[in-house]
Amino acid sequence: MENLVEIAEYGCEVAKKEGAEFVDVGVHSGMGMSVDVERGAVKHGDTAVSSGVSVRAFIKGGMGFTGASSLKKEDVRGAALKAAALAKVAQPDPDFVSLPEPSGSYPVVEKLWDDNIRGVSAGKLVGYLRRSIEEVKSVRGDAIINGGAGLGHSESAIANSLGIRASIKGSSIRMSTSVTFKEGDDVGTYFDFDNSRLLPDFNPSGIGVNAAKMALKFLGARHIQGGVMPVVFGPLSGLSIFRVICWNANAEDIQRNRSYLIGKKGAQIASDIVTVVDDPLIPAGMGSGPFDGEGFPHSRLTVIEKGVLKTWLHNSYTANKGKEKNTGNSTRGGTSITNTVVSLGTKTEKELISEIKDGLYVAVGSIFPNPQSGDISETVDWGFKIENGEIAYPVKNVMIGMHMLEFMKNIDAISSDFREEPGAIMPSVRVRDVRVAGGK
Amino acid sequence: MKDILEAIRDRAKKKGVSFMDARFVENESTSISLQDGKADKVSSGKSAGIGVRVISSGAWGFATTNETALKSAEDCLDQAISMADASAEKGRVVEVAKVSPVIDAVKAKFEIDPRSVPFKEKVDKVVMFESEARKVAPEKISNTIAGYGDIWQREVICNTYGTLVENEYVRTHTYIMVVTKEGALRQRASEHDAIVGGFELIRRIEPENFSVKAAKRAVALLSAKRAPSGMFPVLLHPDIVGLFTHEAIGHNAEADGVMAGVSILEGRVGQKVASELVTIVDDATIEGMWGSYKYDSEGVPGRRRVLVENGVLKGFMHSLETAAKFNAEPNGSARAQNFNNRPIVRMSNTNIQPGKQPYAELLKSIDNGVMLTKGLGGYVNPNKGQFTFSAGEGWMIRKGELAEHIRDVNMSGILLETLQKIDGVSKEYDPDTLKGGMCGKGGQGMFVGAGGPYVRVKELMIGGQE
Repeated sequence: MENLVEIAEYGCEVAKKEGAEFVDVGVHSGMGMSVDVERGAVKHGDTAVSSGVSVRAFIKGGMGFTGASSLKKEDVRGAALKAAALAKVAQPDPDFVSLPEPSGSYPVVEKLWDDNIRGVSAGKLVGYLRRSIEEVKSVRGDAIINGGAGLGHSESAIANSLGIRASIKGSSIRMSTSVTFKEGDDVGTYFDFDNSRLLPDFNPSGIGVNAAKMALKFLGARHIQGGVMPVVFGPLSGLSIFRVICWNANAEDIQRNRSYLIGKKGAQIASDIVTVVDDPLIPAGMGSGPFDGEGFPHSRLTVIEKGVLKTWLHNSYTANKGKEKNTGNSTRGGTSITNTVVSLGTKTEKELISEIKDGLYVAVGSIFPNPQSGDISETVDWGFKIENGEIAYPVKNVMIGMHMLEFMKNIDAISSDFREEPGAIMPSVRVRDVRVAGGK
Repeated sequence: MKDILEAIRDRAKKKGVSFMDARFVENESTSISLQDGKADKVSSGKSAGIGVRVISSGAWGFATTNETALKSAEDCLDQAISMADASAEKGRVVEVAKVSPVIDAVKAKFEIDPRSVPFKEKVDKVVMFESEARKVAPEKISNTIAGYGDIWQREVICNTYGTLVENEYVRTHTYIMVVTKEGALRQRASEHDAIVGGFELIRRIEPENFSVKAAKRAVALLSAKRAPSGMFPVLLHPDIVGLFTHEAIGHNAEADGVMAGVSILEGRVGQKVASELVTIVDDATIEGMWGSYKYDSEGVPGRRRVLVENGVLKGFMHSLETAAKFNAEPNGSARAQNFNNRPIVRMSNTNIQPGKQPYAELLKSIDNGVMLTKGLGGYVNPNKGQFTFSAGEGWMIRKGELAEHIRDVNMSGILLETLQKIDGVSKEYDPDTLKGGMCGKGGQGMFVGAGGPYVRVKELMIGGQE
């Protein structure tokens, strides 16, 4: 069997015959290639084929789950039989109602696959890396340069016992360069990257220069005095704040009674400048696709509007259990966000910084609150002190601690300028009155 | 399978590669996930395949296949050679240390083969652990997640030195997380246990020392205060000192990072990098420990490796490649998660060795500080030597005594500063506090253990909310 949908369909039939009441089968097949640089020279070339099948079988709501790395007919059959057998020992779950029904059609999401990526050779990846190495060396010759370039293309399919049949092809190409400068015990380090679904959109030119220039700026990091101060989260940091809170809004955590967002739907959970959309339909987006892990059609979802939490993120199980609309965020094991889009403000990042007398700038880093309590406790790995409206010097051993809801309400600006990556507009975000711990 | 790997090895020799190893890896795993009293997911997984690695034209090439026929393995070898040739750089020649060939077969050790235990018995055990936890405070427990997992793995390693090693292991683990609530406040606590071995682990666990303990801690945390913010004298409990050792020192002592120029310990062998109270050992040979193994994924025997002795950096953990680079003896530290991963340098069981002071004396010496326990996870930025790790809970220390209970909090430090600031190491010692630990370096999940004594640090950054 070469057709992935047929393989998935076959798995469904086998598990159904074995007594499963509901079944879905996911199948994928792909190929990846990567080349790595170590200390300024290309050193490794890897290539790998990957394939797999996973079967979910349900009996009275209890789920049996199996996975296998082979797509041979006998292995798919074995996985399906085992899933059905496991479903018999899983305990019944009355909250399980059904897997999704076929919807008729899927949205068209463009630019997810580029056949030309299959034609990119290892030699071409090496060429990208060598140019990046030269870029770094043009900034300063004693740089320690590591990094890699890679590509992948894959096809995946999903079929369920109610008639869902869907497949998708995806491709990607990526490169990253990491630069370290050492001056005695002092270390400055940074990285930059480019990734894309399509070959014409891939333009890694300049990331070596940027990584090197930024690494130099991180030399001479200092301990700072802690306190309560405004913090600007730069483009490689700001968007992650909104991605995390969308992820925390997954219905599973709410229904299981283990989230700090319980009771907050319809409530103001962020400042009124915050509007966030989970958008899986962005052409060429890295998180884009026409359907979710269960084959349910994707759609745009406003998660936060003017600071008000509008919805939970659902899969078919949580939607049925909560008697709410399925939002199409299933991963066939939970829920997940796709591409996160945040409404932009009116001032540039530079203007936001210029309004701060004493504060902190976070260049790279995420906020991950304790999903139960909402408490934040994070290290600033790449940060600068802001003094008198300007970036002053890099900092070390600095931490941020407060509650996520307080943090969200203290967002007082989102920049108008941004970094753009496939499926992501990444602005800077300013938060006032953040508790910062410093070691001075 | 051995005959296929040997055929590939002979073909590689004929093609004139400098070095080749081929690994066949197969896994079978089962897991049970239970939430709020129901076994809502019962899983099993299987994978098998071959990974072939070569040095050709002075560069590494690696290719994998999930087909286990000779033809697929031959194609895999050819792809690995062409990837290496495409990656060749003038002036760079990758070398590996020459080692004597090893021919051996390691059989899995267990009392009860988990594959022979019916699923129902596994489910019933987890249900029992979870229900005992719920009895602690039914009105306060809002969610429980309990789980069980076992994995059987066989790895066959064949290389051009003539090594032919078969590694077979069975590992079994279980965990529970309990979430409690009071008003809008929610807290969590978890416990886990794990061995290189079989279902005997589960049969000997008493809920009182496992799930009930997690529930009691989660209830107690409802009355705990938010952690403070700033620099404090810190007493690290053995429950967290293993995590500290792993993140703060262990990763920096992995020689692949040193070779890539991204470890703060580069060029410091023989230098004093820590207080003289500190001796750190990574030991793959401790019987039955989660991070133990007889041979690594290059077929080199695992060893006891002294990383730091009385504060002086003694050496690193090595693969064949890094051993050649640093002119060191290979010490069996290269492991791969699966057939489709390259072996990379990994820790095994990493410990700070016990000192001479009693715990009570260390506690008594702190006037205003923090004791932290229950490591949750962490990460390190090795080139800067800046590390972060999380504690599940702690206590304020006031005038030499444990005072207010505090909630989960992260800590951060700069390695070379923090190691010098260790000013107390207890004689009380637990070698295995990171039971069931997994390290995610390079995207490869790997079994690791860690532990140690109580360790007092003169000052450490606490990222609390108060």
